[in-house]
Amino acid sequence: METVIGAILGALVKLLPLIFAFGLLVPVIAQGMDAAGLAAPFGLSSLVFAMIVAGSWGLFATLKGRWI
Amino acid sequence: MTAQTSDILPADLSGLSDAELLKLERKIARKHSGMFPWLMVIWGFGNLAFWLALWPLVFLGIMPLWLGFILSTISLSLVYLPTHDAQHDIIGRPGTKWRWLNELLGHATTWMIITPFNAFRFTHLEHHKHANNPQLDPDYSCSSAGPWSALWSTIRQRQPDGQKEGDYGAALERQGRGDLMLLALAYKLAFFAVLFTLAWTGHALEAFFMWWLPYHISMTYLVFYLSWAPHHPGVQQGRYKDTRSWKSAVGNIGTMGMQFHTVHHLHPYIPLDRTPAAYREMRPILLARGVETGGL
Repeated sequence: METVIGAILGALVKLLPLIFAFGLLVPVIAQGMDAAGLAAPFGLSSLVFAMIVAGSWGLFATLKGRWI
Repeated sequence: MTAQTSDILPADLSGLSDAELLKLERKIARKHSGMFPWLMVIWGFGNLAFWLALWPLVFLGIMPLWLGFILSTISLSLVYLPTHDAQHDIIGRPGTKWRWLNELLGHATTWMIITPFNAFRFTHLEHHKHANNPQLDPDYSCSSAGPWSALWSTIRQRQPDGQKEGDYGAALERQGRGDLMLLALAYKLAFFAVLFTLAWTGHALEAFFMWWLPYHISMTYLVFYLSWAPHHPGVQQGRYKDTRSWKSAVGNIGTMGMQFHTVHHLHPYIPLDRTPAAYREMRPILLARGVETGGL
């Protein structure tokens, strides 16, 4: 049982950057763009644009172990 | 710096043995300790109330977000030091009448900087025991060649693959408190849960600028002045060698009292606000012991 919980927590920790990206960065970028009156390129909505940017960044952080 | 006259020290220390110097040093330390640290208690709880008050002020539009961000950053930077006195049982030792307040202050405030009080306490006491030991000092990962690399290092250590979390975990395991790692993870997940809830209910900018970014700025500041600067260059170990004093361009308040950190490592039961006076009185002994005083 402890091993299973440990494995779940390990996976959760490993995926935290991606979870953080969608949990906070996506809405921060989208709401930030809306507040500043910035339009997303290629006719995308600010939310879709934020998902692409933050999702890619979060994936990078998950794979590389660092945001910067 | 002018030497403070002392009613404890003789005019000439040159003929005293190490044991006699230590006796005088302890006498000075006792003189500056043992009192109830009202300032730290008011500081700790006052800061908690101040930070909590920022949220409704910003949410109700009474305070602009940019001002809330600045004040929150200052407030989160001020969280650690009162809990630091509590970590050393300065507010109330076990079994004394103020013990409950000591523990309450710690537990009621460290959540603001996303760390359980006891995780701070056990890792910090380990730092005191093994300061500058590359294998055993949980704060050793902040060692850097200079201030800019130290700033970068504090940011680097908070990345997902940063060494610091592992060092803290190892320090807790050594003391049989591996359970605090789970509690620390719970704090982090709770922090994220609050941020995500705010963000997806239309308050992402408030979550980001009122907590996430202030937390990271304050941690960079705290690690720089509380961990890196007083132990730089971090190559020597031993009672009079592992900590230095120095005269900072930002002064005693800007460094949060860390200019006098030598005295804290020698006598960690002295309250923060009494450390400068203890240092001034103890300085001739520190010089005789070969402590790096950096012109202070």
